[in-house]
Amino acid sequence: MMAPLLEVGIALTAIALAGALASRIGLSVIPAYIVVGVLVGPNPPTELFGVSLTLVAYGEFVEVVAELGVVFLLFFLGLEFSVGQLLADRERVLTIGAVDAVINGGLGLALGFLFGYSVIETLFLAGIVYISSSAVITKSLIDTGWVANPESRPILGTLVFEDIAIAVYLAVLAAVALGSGTPVEAAIDVGRAFAVLGVLGAVAWYGPSLVTRLFSTDSDELFVLRVIGVTTLIAGVALATGLSEAVAAFFVGMAFSETDLTDRIESVVGPAKDLFAAVFFFVIGVQTDVTLFAGVAGLLAVAVLVTTAGKLASGTLSGQVYGLSRTRSIRVGLGMVPRGEFSLVIAALATTVGTGALAAEIPAFAVGYVLVMSTLGTILIQESAWITDRVGT
Amino acid sequence: MAVYETEVPGVGHKFELDLDRDRRVIVLIHHDGTRELYLRPDADSDSEKLFSLDDQRARQLGSILEGAHFQPIEAGDVEVPLGDGLIEWTEITADSPLVGQTLATTDIRERTGASVIAIQRDEQSIPNPGPETTVEAGDLLVTLGTRDEQHAVDEITDSN
Repeated sequence: MMAPLLEVGIALTAIALAGALASRIGLSVIPAYIVVGVLVGPNPPTELFGVSLTLVAYGEFVEVVAELGVVFLLFFLGLEFSVGQLLADRERVLTIGAVDAVINGGLGLALGFLFGYSVIETLFLAGIVYISSSAVITKSLIDTGWVANPESRPILGTLVFEDIAIAVYLAVLAAVALGSGTPVEAAIDVGRAFAVLGVLGAVAWYGPSLVTRLFSTDSDELFVLRVIGVTTLIAGVALATGLSEAVAAFFVGMAFSETDLTDRIESVVGPAKDLFAAVFFFVIGVQTDVTLFAGVAGLLAVAVLVTTAGKLASGTLSGQVYGLSRTRSIRVGLGMVPRGEFSLVIAALATTVGTGALAAEIPAFAVGYVLVMSTLGTILIQESAWITDRVGT
Repeated sequence: MAVYETEVPGVGHKFELDLDRDRRVIVLIHHDGTRELYLRPDADSDSEKLFSLDDQRARQLGSILEGAHFQPIEAGDVEVPLGDGLIEWTEITADSPLVGQTLATTDIRERTGASVIAIQRDEQSIPNPGPETTVEAGDLLVTLGTRDEQHAVDEITDSN
């Protein structure tokens, strides 16, 4: 057994190297963190040219940091969630959001049933293939300069819709999957989840001045401690009472989004989130047994093809709703292809439920899927000229 | 003129402003304060990134675009309306007849009607100076009075 400090040191250095390499070749960092996690984790490959690669076990400490990663990913999702943007453009956002959810969620459900999964397993699968990656997409939008083009409006609008969808979806799924079985009990759990979220939501909506007062301090040190402390505490309480810690964190983030504190949180707490999230992706890799990929290879191949086409179709339609040219509409589709952090959050929830296909196959599928889709999506965005030139304007 | 504002999750705010019928300028403000400027030549073209600025440079550029001036203010030009009264800063030159006298002997209040409310001496200021305060060369007398009274102050502080 290695000293925990050495293990954490190896993990963080590996993450840093992987991130540096990925940004050097212009690809998303998320797949790089996962891959390096697979390499140094306890699952195969365990050695390279006779050198042992099992450097990091899945210890309690990294587990907690990874969980903080989930909490703060969703916290920032809530923080950056724009109710104003949703309401300002509600008709078009609801239209394109519905198109996106029906096509891509629908394809996920079809895949699940086609490959013989149970209802609950299929629901997990549908969520994993439906939800695009805000992190990868916004980064790509800036790198390509699309952020200043009209196609960024339907892309960002769809992401706003997905943000709400993922919060509701996680709340329901956590209640159903963690609940004890019968439909009535599941319904009670879902109801209880929404009651608690309603209270958090009411605080978010009616109490910005209270929140601002509680968190106002000149010291960045005290500020970051308060934000991380309160968020982690509420998420922990949610988890202890059988709710989704991720969804609770989303609502805590929303409570802050209505205050003047958002910019300060972005600059002071942002780096902590980046650290936690990087460890989360890394731990996903550490936990992944790539030999399981063989069992889901067929599903993976079909899913990659079908859901890339799905996002292309829904994105192109969304571009039409915004009255964009053909080239720009196709770009909307290409822009929505990357999947990343939220698919992995869903996979992490599946792992905690932990029976049958949910414990092994679905998480393995999710990791393989995110590896392919975050990389493929980034490349499609970078090379979009090649594609749109051929499809014509 | 319409300015379109959009939030870009995880990045910051985006502002769009039409320059004329075709061209549009787009400003992306990152959470860390960096501003990126894009220009879209016409609706069908892609936006070209012009440059990016850090927070401080962006503010400087903004002030210039706004038409604000950066010249230091001339002490003699400042007038603050205060009902009928004005506050003026009057410099005491080395050859002023007031140099070396106390406020009691200069008797500014009696002779002009304006009151000396403060004296600025180098970096320091003496608020509400007492009658025993001596006027020195280089002082700025801060006086409160009507326009005519301020003219009278100028006359008695000048050497000629």
